[in-house]
Amino acid sequence: MHESSQSLAEHLRSTIDPIRIVANGSWLNAGRPTAEASPLSVQGVRGIVEYVPGDLTITVRAGTPHSEIDAATFHEGQWLGLDPAGAHLGTVGATIATAAAGPLVHGIGAVRDIVLGLEVVSGNGVITRSGGKVVKNVAGFDLVRLQTGAWGTLGIITEVSLRLRARPETDETVAIELDGRTPLLAHLIRLKGLTLSPLSIELIGAPLATTLGISSQQLFLIRLGGNETRVKAQRAQLATLGALNDCNTTIWESLQRLDHDNAVSHSDCAVARVSHLPSQLPLAWSHVHSELSSVSLAPVLSRATISRGTVRLVVPHSPSLSRDEYRAAVSSVTRTLAPPGGHVVWERLPKDAWTNVPSAVADRLSRGLQRTFDPDSRCNSGILGATFVG
Amino acid sequence: MSNLPSDALIASLETIVGVRWVRKRAAELQVFDADGLPGYRMLPSLAVLPGTRDELIAVVCALAAAEVAFVPRGAGTGLSGGALAENIVVLALNRLTRILSIDAENCLAHVEPGVVNVNLGRAVAPFGLQYAPDPSSQTACTIGGNVAENAGGPHCLKYGVTMNHVVALTVLLPNGELVAFGSPHGEVEGYDFTGLFVGSEGCFGVAVDVWVRLIPLPQAIRTLLADFDSVDAAARAVSEIIATGILPAALEMMDNATIRAVEASIYAAGYPTDAAAVLLCEVDGLLEGLDTDVAMIERCCGLHGARSVRVASTNEERARLWQGRKKAFGAMGRIAPHLVVQDAVVPRTKLPAVLATIHEISERFKVKVCNVFHAGDGNLHPNIAYDANNADESERVHHAMREIMQACIDVGGTITGEHGVGLDKLPYMNKLFSEDTLTTMCSVRDVFDPERRANPGKVIPVHSCREWHGAALRAEPKSRKAEWPA
Repeated sequence: MHESSQSLAEHLRSTIDPIRIVANGSWLNAGRPTAEASPLSVQGVRGIVEYVPGDLTITVRAGTPHSEIDAATFHEGQWLGLDPAGAHLGTVGATIATAAAGPLVHGIGAVRDIVLGLEVVSGNGVITRSGGKVVKNVAGFDLVRLQTGAWGTLGIITEVSLRLRARPETDETVAIELDGRTPLLAHLIRLKGLTLSPLSIELIGAPLATTLGISSQQLFLIRLGGNETRVKAQRAQLATLGALNDCNTTIWESLQRLDHDNAVSHSDCAVARVSHLPSQLPLAWSHVHSELSSVSLAPVLSRATISRGTVRLVVPHSPSLSRDEYRAAVSSVTRTLAPPGGHVVWERLPKDAWTNVPSAVADRLSRGLQRTFDPDSRCNSGILGATFVG
Repeated sequence: MSNLPSDALIASLETIVGVRWVRKRAAELQVFDADGLPGYRMLPSLAVLPGTRDELIAVVCALAAAEVAFVPRGAGTGLSGGALAENIVVLALNRLTRILSIDAENCLAHVEPGVVNVNLGRAVAPFGLQYAPDPSSQTACTIGGNVAENAGGPHCLKYGVTMNHVVALTVLLPNGELVAFGSPHGEVEGYDFTGLFVGSEGCFGVAVDVWVRLIPLPQAIRTLLADFDSVDAAARAVSEIIATGILPAALEMMDNATIRAVEASIYAAGYPTDAAAVLLCEVDGLLEGLDTDVAMIERCCGLHGARSVRVASTNEERARLWQGRKKAFGAMGRIAPHLVVQDAVVPRTKLPAVLATIHEISERFKVKVCNVFHAGDGNLHPNIAYDANNADESERVHHAMREIMQACIDVGGTITGEHGVGLDKLPYMNKLFSEDTLTTMCSVRDVFDPERRANPGKVIPVHSCREWHGAALRAEPKSRKAEWPA
């Protein structure tokens, strides 16, 4: 097993096979039609390199599990603030490679806002280090942002420096059930009228709320952090929307697990992120549910990050559909799920359905970047789509 | 590739933008011969000032057809020599000043690159919104320039730098091709071209329009001024505040030399002139709980021996405290005729040690260092006031600066936090990055601009970019004397 970036670089220099980068393998392939490739494990490239609590920064090898970072920072009253689905199983390298965000994106920011520096082994075995360990840095071109979310197609991320946050003094979560007779837009307008600074603020669909065991109704799930006075004041404001149901903050971990477990329990389960302007969230929400329902794919586990206008959907297998019918239904909805003017990013799909999804890297600039970092297209080739226009 | 515009090209440019907006005479070009860092002076061969999007596109296409290199330029307030053009064309974007739309509901603004930073702030304020990046030059600098440099400012401690606020861009590549990066309508799969373009210092092309994210104005603001008997004590108070978990909107430090310069100027803010250092700290957000944060910050300052902590009681007092900080560079003009403005970042916990090292270096080289900086994120601005006509002093300033930058690198810091590399930081790039990393950066640039016609010779040292071997622009200045005059 490779335990260093040098070892990985040597491997890439001494072989010619295409590789599939594997850490814990918890989200492997995502059903994406990757080219035939040999798995290359980065699980051995793990461990904390440097943690300076006073700087609120940490440098770790990319194969380090999130749980290890959580354990180290917890004792200092700090956290990373990244909570994507499946983070309890995953490594930090995979989170950065996929730019996967969770509900904390509202209060803490996206992955691209948190990564300070990266070491990467490119497809031809060249090691580059960009960014740094400090919280502000504009030296050179921003290869950090380029590698974040590149799904390993520009090389193997081997070491990362990250910005940490202090854990809030008070951390409370409340659920507010939404009266189904009132339009979602009206609920959102009332919510927007409040002066809040929550860590997370999610719209949770009724099936997901039921599965989480909170309620059988659609609801707002809100995480409040800060000093006690601030949290108390926000609770008072939220109470004007409806009864506050206190939830244990572990509900957010349940959300990560449930979401992820549903997706990986069926190898061809569909998962999508649909986004639009935040003001268009009611439109996007109703559009995706209507489209999925029209092909018998309801109920879905859905939630939305309200401030970002992003809806995340896990489409479990329906007992009323055979596996083939499920695949056909998903395949057909890939063409219609994006709301007018909005976007859809598929995280996971049955293999055949990917043929309906346009390549994200077929443009001239993307192809040029791939040739720069991975001239022989060896790293996770095809995972973001073909690099040629067919 | 030719750098000198032909008569035919000049005629073509004049047809596109009008004769008035093509500057050819040396006297007209003089205004473009420096940016905010007056140590470098270079005269462009020509300056073109398109007034519309269509004119901009036509100009870049004409330059591409003629294979002429150019330097995009906003207000010229940059502090790294990045907007300088040595005998090539300046593409001035400061006539493109339209705010194309403000979408208050979605907290977005769509602007042309020449919009002045503070004007955007003023335009969105009536909607209860703000554009957070606030470089000290915000009354003059443009959004396009901010994008090119990934500009910061005091309030980026809490709110982030330009990169965190740019949602999407339309970019004109140096070959005249228009491309869209990102989307204001949500997440687009694929590479983060928006993140890559922000901070590329004009080497990848020109931003034709920019979508930026706005944030709500805070419900309440508290601004504190704490003064200390030593720089070390102030630096330790900074670490103490950060360690509490409070994230101030801004946390700035000024040393005694800076305080005295400010207080002797028209920007006098009421800073105590006998203090070794002051901290200017601002917290904002919800009204409830804010005074708890203020009390905690007061305690942190007290723990490290603050002589007094004053909370601004009126908006006017707050504005005055900030004016002193934001105009500090200008105030330093009183100390000596010339000023070197530096920019480096160190890990926050290294601040006390690095400030002590800077003091030691300044004593050894007998130069006057004024520190005014973003302490909360470890972003130092050690500035040296000097007389460029004094060759001996210039030599000492040069050596002191090199040692200061090396000291920042040695503790795990970086050579620029917000000013960019431009020309000024080129000599330090290979101290920070490996040859392989610099070569990769060059290759990335080639994807956007294979002929390297957009802002040539900037960001990456000459030896890492083959095309520039032996070219006129250089990593090390030919003449040190020429590097420092103002």
